[in-house]
Amino acid sequence: MAYIRKRNRRIFLIFLLPAMLVLFLTTIYPMIYAGYLSFRSYDLAKLFVPRVFVGWSNYAEVIGSSEFIHSLITTFKLMAMTLSVQLVLGVGIALIVTQKLPGMPLARTLLMIPMMISPVIVGLVWLFLYFPELGYLNYFLSFLGIESIPWITSTNWALWAIAIADIWQWTPFVMMGTAAALQSLSPEPYEAAMIDGNSRWDVFTRVTLPQLKPVLVSLMFLRAIDAFKIYDIIFVLTKGGPGDSTEVLSMFIYRQSFTFWRMGVGAAASFVSLVIIVVLITLFFKSLQREQHA
Amino acid sequence: MSAITLNNVIKRYGAVQVVHGVDLDIEQGEFVVLLGPSGCGKTTTLRMVAGLEDVSGGELSIGGRVVNDVAPKDRGVAMVFQNYALYPHMTVRQNMEFALRPMKLPKAEVDRRIGDTAEILGLSELLARRPAQLSGGQRQRVAMGRAMVRTPDVFLFDEPLSNLDAKLRTQVRWEIGKLHQRLGTTVLYVTHDQVEAMTLADKIVIMRDGHVEQVGTPEEVYGNPRTTFVATFIGSPSMNMIEARVDSGRLVAAGLSAAIPARFADKVSEGQAVTLGIRPVELKIASGDEPGAMQAQVEVTEYLGNEALLDLRVGSHELVAEVPADQRADPGDMIHIRLNEAAIHLFDTASGQSLAH
Repeated sequence: MAYIRKRNRRIFLIFLLPAMLVLFLTTIYPMIYAGYLSFRSYDLAKLFVPRVFVGWSNYAEVIGSSEFIHSLITTFKLMAMTLSVQLVLGVGIALIVTQKLPGMPLARTLLMIPMMISPVIVGLVWLFLYFPELGYLNYFLSFLGIESIPWITSTNWALWAIAIADIWQWTPFVMMGTAAALQSLSPEPYEAAMIDGNSRWDVFTRVTLPQLKPVLVSLMFLRAIDAFKIYDIIFVLTKGGPGDSTEVLSMFIYRQSFTFWRMGVGAAASFVSLVIIVVLITLFFKSLQREQHA
Repeated sequence: MSAITLNNVIKRYGAVQVVHGVDLDIEQGEFVVLLGPSGCGKTTTLRMVAGLEDVSGGELSIGGRVVNDVAPKDRGVAMVFQNYALYPHMTVRQNMEFALRPMKLPKAEVDRRIGDTAEILGLSELLARRPAQLSGGQRQRVAMGRAMVRTPDVFLFDEPLSNLDAKLRTQVRWEIGKLHQRLGTTVLYVTHDQVEAMTLADKIVIMRDGHVEQVGTPEEVYGNPRTTFVATFIGSPSMNMIEARVDSGRLVAAGLSAAIPARFADKVSEGQAVTLGIRPVELKIASGDEPGAMQAQVEVTEYLGNEALLDLRVGSHELVAEVPADQRADPGDMIHIRLNEAAIHLFDTASGQSLAH
């Protein structure tokens, strides 16, 4: 027995090793190295200058910088815009595609396509749509008598332009999760409500939504983490501009690290955003636990 | 006035017809059980009465009003489902409140109704619990309570006991019977369990393949089955069925012969193929010299306490006899039995219809 257990453990390790190695090289080592860098002064332009230990000064600079605060606010703004619309649209579409109507399974499959496309491609597609002079979107809007909108060139519109592209790509995710949850609900309580004469609104708000809540909360949570890390679409569409109107956290970090070549400050900013995410996750799970015990 | 009337009611799914012209009259306050094997159309019929399935043909009336196109909520019915159909995130009280919500009653009235119903069903202590915190029997009582608070004209039960264990089933069955006596509301109840049907029903409707085979009181369907199907479906163990022929004024089958009971004398003709039905309790152990005694070999003996079931081979027929336990024989024994001729049922073999009617 002991021999078999020992041999099994060795096989486990052998099978796990490649995955662990990749994880270490692409995630754990860079994270540790970033942690190291965040306490150093490191100019990417001066590769051979020693990286001097500077204590917490990178962190102090990040937290004290109005640009960082601005990017944090922009991130939360974008998060609020995308999550709220994705929630309403995702649940709405899920309610439609789970109806027993002809063509719904096909519709469900087609609706998932945006989610399968790489965000860079999504960004390029929307770039074509948004393009100031030649974009399709303004072309079609002109038929409706709407004057062309400076989607990605105006500080008023740029964040919305990014939000719309993100909503287009990720509403299907919310839709898919909600549809799966809807289909797992037992039909009998709905028949009981039908016989008792409860209105559709009552049934939706008091029977369906409360039962969907755990799934919706999880979906929103996953979307929130993604929204915190949003990068590709913005890089393709606006690169954080015009001005700093679409500079979210990831763009701030990118700019500090690879535009201004201040790797130490960039690393410190990454860690600050990591702390924010960890705090959010902890609060989320705490509230979930509280709810389950209630 | 009838509480519920089904007039040639048909249900079709596409080209497939599953309920074939059901006619049924349910009186006010009557407890009617739809009984039949799986797939006989009993639940579909109930769901048509509830309004959860459209009626494909015929006429369905509740309280004298044709309701074919009336929404479920406007039919004055309440339904208890097999899987309870409780709202899992609501407490017992909230479940009942939600059923009352469309009626827009004053709060005091809502509280009174829930209080009274909980009292009757013994749920008063459980009002703050959620379904997951209740036992199966308690959940089924909540489901009944949710139907009761609305004080409907008709209760519909869809196999309400089939998710309960045997002991609980007996108890809840008893509670349902008591409740019906107390409330006097019309009940339409679907089950495949003949014990439920026999114990609860004023009237049993036996269905098979979408047709009504027989409608009658429990005594009628047991004592006077109209078809071989009803004869074998009602009663446990099942009635023994023997293929026989009328020969020189007697019923003759391989290794077996019996006089034709007087009440069938003018209903059979010489040479007619008939099916002889005899309930296991009407096969009596006899001594070898008794008139009509037949030799039988005991193949299996099942001891049940008070009585015993003997699987017998008589000629080429396999019969079951239910005898007092102290008269039981052992497997392999040769014994003599006789048929209680007064209890013989005769059916036309070709049509399966009883010859008594």
